[in-house]
Formats: sequence, C-alpha cells, structure tokens
Amino acid sequence: MATRRVAVTGIGILSPVGNDRETFFSSLMAGKSGIRRLETDFVDSLDAQLAAWIGDFDPLAHFPKSKAGAMDRVTQFAVVAGQQALADAGLDLASEDRERIGVYLGTGMGGAASIEEGYVRLYRDNASRLKPFTVLMAMNNAAGSQVALDFGLTGPSLTFCTACASSSVSIGEATRQIRHGYADVMLAGGAEALLTYGTIKAWEALRTLASEDPENPSASCKPFSANRTGLVLGEGAAMVVLEDMERALARGAKIYAEVIGYGSSSDSTHITQPSVDGQARAIRRALAEAGITPDQLDYINAHGTGTKLNDVTETAAIKQVCGTGIPVSSTKSMTGHLMGAAGAVEFVACMMAIDKQALPPTAHLVQPDPECDLDYIPNVGRENVKVETVMSNSFAFGGTSGVLIARKV
Amino acid sequence: MDTFETLRDIIAKKFEKPAEEITLESTFESLEIDSLDTFDIIFEAEEKFGIKVPNEEVAIKTVQDVVSLIDRLRTEQGK
Repeated sequence: MATRRVAVTGIGILSPVGNDRETFFSSLMAGKSGIRRLETDFVDSLDAQLAAWIGDFDPLAHFPKSKAGAMDRVTQFAVVAGQQALADAGLDLASEDRERIGVYLGTGMGGAASIEEGYVRLYRDNASRLKPFTVLMAMNNAAGSQVALDFGLTGPSLTFCTACASSSVSIGEATRQIRHGYADVMLAGGAEALLTYGTIKAWEALRTLASEDPENPSASCKPFSANRTGLVLGEGAAMVVLEDMERALARGAKIYAEVIGYGSSSDSTHITQPSVDGQARAIRRALAEAGITPDQLDYINAHGTGTKLNDVTETAAIKQVCGTGIPVSSTKSMTGHLMGAAGAVEFVACMMAIDKQALPPTAHLVQPDPECDLDYIPNVGRENVKVETVMSNSFAFGGTSGVLIARKV
Repeated sequence: MDTFETLRDIIAKKFEKPAEEITLESTFESLEIDSLDTFDIIFEAEEKFGIKVPNEEVAIKTVQDVVSLIDRLRTEQGK
C-alpha cells in the first residue's frame, strides 16, 4: 500500500501560559512565563517553591460533578484538550466513521495525584480502604482511554510512557497509523498533572529542579544560559488532530502543517545522562524520513530543559547534524517542563510558529554559556519571518528520543 | 436522619440530582447511575455508617436494596 501524507488539522491545548492556542502562542511570543510560586499546603516543604501550573481550570465547567470526581486531573486535561482539538478541526463526529479514528496519548506519571491520595489515606490517615475509583483514576492509560470513550473513537488507542518524550512519540507513532492506512484520523498528544507533594519531592531528589531566581521567580528556568540551574515542573495537555491529507484537502479543512518526519532512538547509555549520539541519531532519522536536508529547517523547538547537562548535550547534537545556522528556542523557559505533555505542547508551538510566521524566544537568556553557542532567539520573539519547516526535539530520561518535523502546506 | 434519608443525600450530592427524584423504588438504572458508581455510593455509606459491605452483597438494583442491606449490616455488625 502506498503511504499517505498526514495533515495537522486541529489543535487543543491547556498550558501554564494559556488554555487555548492563540493565548498560548501570544504568551510565548511576549516572553510571558507561567512559572510562579506554587499555591498548595505543602509548598513550604519544597526547596524551590515553584511550578508552571494551571490556575484557571475548573473541572466543573467541563464535567458533571460525579464524573469530574471519578477522573484524575490528568484525564480532565486530556479530554478538554481533545475536545478543543476536535472542535478546531471542524469534525462532526456524528457523521464520521469513528472506527477509523484513534487516540494516541503520552503521559509520564499518569494519575499521579490519585495514587498519592490513596497512599495518604492509607499511610498517613490510617484508613483501611481506598476510594473505589482509585485504580481507574491512577492507571497510566486512564487519560487516553477516557478521550476515546468520551468521543466514541474506536480506532487504535494506545498510551505511550517514555517520560519527557511520551507525547512526541505519540504524535510520531499516530502519524504512522495514518501513513500506513490503519486509521484516517488520529487524536494525538499528551497530558501531565504531576504537581503533587510526592512527585515533586522525587524530582527534587534527582537534583534537576531549578533554584528560585530571587529577583524574578518566573524567570527561574533559564535554558542555554550560563546561570541555568535546572528545570521547572509543569502541568497541562496538548492534543492535535492528525488526518489523511487527501481527506483534509477534500473537506477543505484548515491545515496547520504536514507531518513529514519522525525519528525515534534509544541512547542505551545511561538512565538519565543524555547522549549526543543518541539525540543526533533521532534527528537524523527524522530528517531522513522527511527527505530534507538540515538547511531546509527554519526553526528548531529544543528540548531545552534548562539543566546543565541537557542544554550542552542538545546543542552538540544539533550542531553535529544541523550545523549552527538554524534558530533554536526553548519554550520551556516559559511553560516549564510538562514531561509527558511537553512534546505535544512544543509541537503545538511549532504549528503556531508556521501559522503566524513567527518564532517564539528562549526567555531569560541573559548570560550566554560558551558551550551553548547557537542562535537561541534570546528573549525576543521574531515576527514576520519565513517559517515553513520546523523540528521539535524531545529527549527523555530512560534514553528515548522523539523528533518530529513538519512543513507548511 | 434515617438510613434512606442519609443515602438519598449521598446520591443527590454525588450525582447532582434533586432529592425528591430519589425514592425507595428508584432503580439505579433510572437514576442513570451505573454499577461502578454504585460502588462509590456503597463506599460512602460504609464510611457514614461504619459498616463493611462484603463483595458478594453489592449486587443491587434499587435504592430500597441498599437501604435494606445497610440496615441489615448495621444490625449484624452492631453499628
């Protein structure tokens, strides 16, 4: 069977810098950060009292009370982002063959809050039993399954759990489902809601979290900067509608871009330390599948976590494959690190960059690092630039890399 | 409050239903409450009445079924 082209026809997003695609991207362009002091009862026990969190999400605006209570926050995010994406794509599900529509979703920690709530009841409060929905809220595939269930989608439905690369991988693999004819439309992306006491403490122990910038807490994540101290955990979800290109063209859908390349690789060197060669391998594979040379890229959305090691490693990997001429930015400087949702959120940033012909900056990059010597679009976004072909990098703990390339149609 | 009134309040609150819609004769099906959701109701009833409902007892159809079950278990378990 001849392979098919894949279009992006819908976008849904809930993020620390905006709960719709326009607000999200205008925040990025303005250098507005969603990182701020976490407002929870455990905040005083944290080393850095920061997170990139969503403050204006009311589950009851989207779900009946009984249903909201049976869904973890991560599932609520996923369903709402999925709803936005389907609406944006203008798909009337009632008249669609929903056997040909699937859901691929990436998440790192799944229903982290639900499992933790269960442990608190048992170990702290000495309860002898847990809420009946605990398993169904905590299981890692809850969010993806609920998306399929709520929209009656009966095509392939899988959950990808490859830490920070989860949702780049889900979008890449979903693209292949359409490309090879297993589905005509895929709702793909990721969701994460891990801002719980236990999860943050676990990340704290890894010594990868940023220290608070005393002058400006919202500037605490400083990717590619000499004074960077680490990443800031974030929460949210992003889902895109992927569609067989011919079908999208035939129905006159708005097409944000075509997904032309996806590369995945495993470092197989260390559980946390990234490998230049592993990352470069995924970039090369994505370029090969796209059938383009690196000089055709107009923008790279970096993994750019703001940790010492990631940013030099990624810089070296980009240089190894793409040279030094392509603008690169880390939008994590503003969104924080959404882990399992990060790849999808950054893919959306790339879609919007094409849509608006504008490149979002790397915020808070004031002190250049001699080892990070690319054009990182420091602090100020670029408007009215040619943005046709974009690449989004995701590199995970565990060594999985997921790289996506898309092109304006 | 008697068993029925307590149960009615649990159901009304959890599923946002007017209390007067919930009678002893109401089936959970008519209230659009599925079997999984009835586990949640039983869970709350267990907390409220300090009883433990054994697994084999949870096959229920109507509100009356649950009221009878709770009353019987309260007697049996001395709560």
